[in-house]
Amino acid sequence: MTAQRPTALIAEDEPLLRESLEQQLTLVWPELAVVTRARNGREAIEQFDAHHPDVCFLDVHMPGVTGIEAARHIGHRAHLVFVTAYDQYAVQAFAQGVLDYLVKPVDATRLAQTAARLQERLRTARSAVNTEVLLQQLAATLERQTASAPLRWIRASVGQNVTLIPVQDVDFLCAEEKYTMVAWHEAGGTLREAVIRTPLKELSAQLDATQFAQVHRSVIVNLNSIARVVRGSNETADVHLKGRTEVLPVSRSYLHLFRQM
Amino acid sequence: MLPFYMVVGRTMVVGFAALLAFGLFERWPARLPRWFARWALQVLAIVLAVPLGAYLAYWLTTGGHPQLGAVSGRLQGYVELTFAGILFAPWIAVGALVRQRDTFAREQAAAFALERSELERRALDARFRLLQAQVEPHFLFNTLANVQALVEVGAPQAAKVLKSLIAYLRAAVPQLHETVTTLDQELELVRAYLELMHMRMPDRLMFEIRVDPTLLKLQCPPMTLLTLVENAVRHGIDPSEIGGTIEVEVRLTSSRCLASVTDTGVGLKVTGRGLGTGLASLRERLQLAFGAEAQLALSEVAPHGVRAEVSFPARMTQP
Repeated sequence: MTAQRPTALIAEDEPLLRESLEQQLTLVWPELAVVTRARNGREAIEQFDAHHPDVCFLDVHMPGVTGIEAARHIGHRAHLVFVTAYDQYAVQAFAQGVLDYLVKPVDATRLAQTAARLQERLRTARSAVNTEVLLQQLAATLERQTASAPLRWIRASVGQNVTLIPVQDVDFLCAEEKYTMVAWHEAGGTLREAVIRTPLKELSAQLDATQFAQVHRSVIVNLNSIARVVRGSNETADVHLKGRTEVLPVSRSYLHLFRQM
Repeated sequence: MLPFYMVVGRTMVVGFAALLAFGLFERWPARLPRWFARWALQVLAIVLAVPLGAYLAYWLTTGGHPQLGAVSGRLQGYVELTFAGILFAPWIAVGALVRQRDTFAREQAAAFALERSELERRALDARFRLLQAQVEPHFLFNTLANVQALVEVGAPQAAKVLKSLIAYLRAAVPQLHETVTTLDQELELVRAYLELMHMRMPDRLMFEIRVDPTLLKLQCPPMTLLTLVENAVRHGIDPSEIGGTIEVEVRLTSSRCLASVTDTGVGLKVTGRGLGTGLASLRERLQLAFGAEAQLALSEVAPHGVRAEVSFPARMTQP
């Protein structure tokens, strides 16, 4: 491996930054031959499989297949350097670990240090620090940071059109066999209903728990839409909604939600 | 001579009758014709209740045989009691009603003040978030990285890009005193942003802005179009390997300003997750500025892409 010039792949979706990184690398590490370039994760994987470079510079955020996903494909078959935009979550995720990373705009001194470290590893033929386990952990950390936001829009087909319903305008959701009925009000006060394919169970996990409450096995209600709750006999209750005639059932196991009201 | 307790007793019965009438007609009937005020009904009821109450007082104190005409002095006593009652009771009732109204007015004023401060707080919140949302470090540093790359190689584009960045920053940096900008200013901001993004992804982002020049002086809530365009770039074009085109169009339809941003990007994800902080806060800002008169709608376009439409009342800025 050390007999020939070391080879590299640069994967970066912004062309100016791709060229700039290559320029900077020729200055701090003249022996390194950038043999291939990629504009997205999919191309990065293809190019890696075709050229098997020693070092891969991977932009974390790329369209389609991300840099992280490309990294998991490459595994420890190459020394990986992640390139990330200034983004506190991503930078935090890297700062905690031992993986090599650069922050855009790439600082020349830092790039020189990274290059020196990589040269040392290549010279001593040490294996890459980016083990499968570390890459998996990194993917999980970044995934967690992006996936935790609650649902904001529900996509529904109304006639020929696909509409986005703002979640805060939804009055209630009602399970109907495999489908879910969404009832909402528009800004002008018009009441609307639509049926979506996403099961209620799947939606309930994504809704903001401070705004929505499940009151029945098949009903989720927006707490802001409740006009009043009427206690019935036999440990049940009915939910009456603001500006709507529908009365929703509260079953026994969810009654505790309204105990103190 | 009649014993004193008898006089007090009869007066109290009359008083209770008046009170009962006052209380009863305060609630009943639930609805009154528009021309008939409730206070008038209450006072009228008291005027009628007094003679009835006085008769009841005599009936009770005489063991069920008032015999007003037969026993001497009784009729005079009844008339005096009724007269005194009718003389005083309605005034006391009117006094009570006035006080009740004052209290009600005070409570309502307090409720209004509370509501107003709540609205003001929401407006401030929205404004604060707007200021916070401006110029994301992520965007700024990425753009600067591009500028640096251009400068390093001595590319002549560098000056043009810096110009766009300055135009963008000038428009996007908090303008605390301005709550309304013109469409002209907003479009300048949108154009600067799109030019910067086009420099960053020249092969993936195309854009077109179509606006009738006569509309440029229309009012536009700050960051309305920019939020839609940023959203189209972030969630439509950026995730797509092949990218797409963004079309910005502003039209006037029956005194409403209709602005649309259409992209040919990846379209909406299955549940629309992740699409949103910007749009949610834009909705809130529009609602605070125009109430129910502003609308924001998203829809999917074929074969792939999203169309965001916002419409609000068209108003000219003061010259």
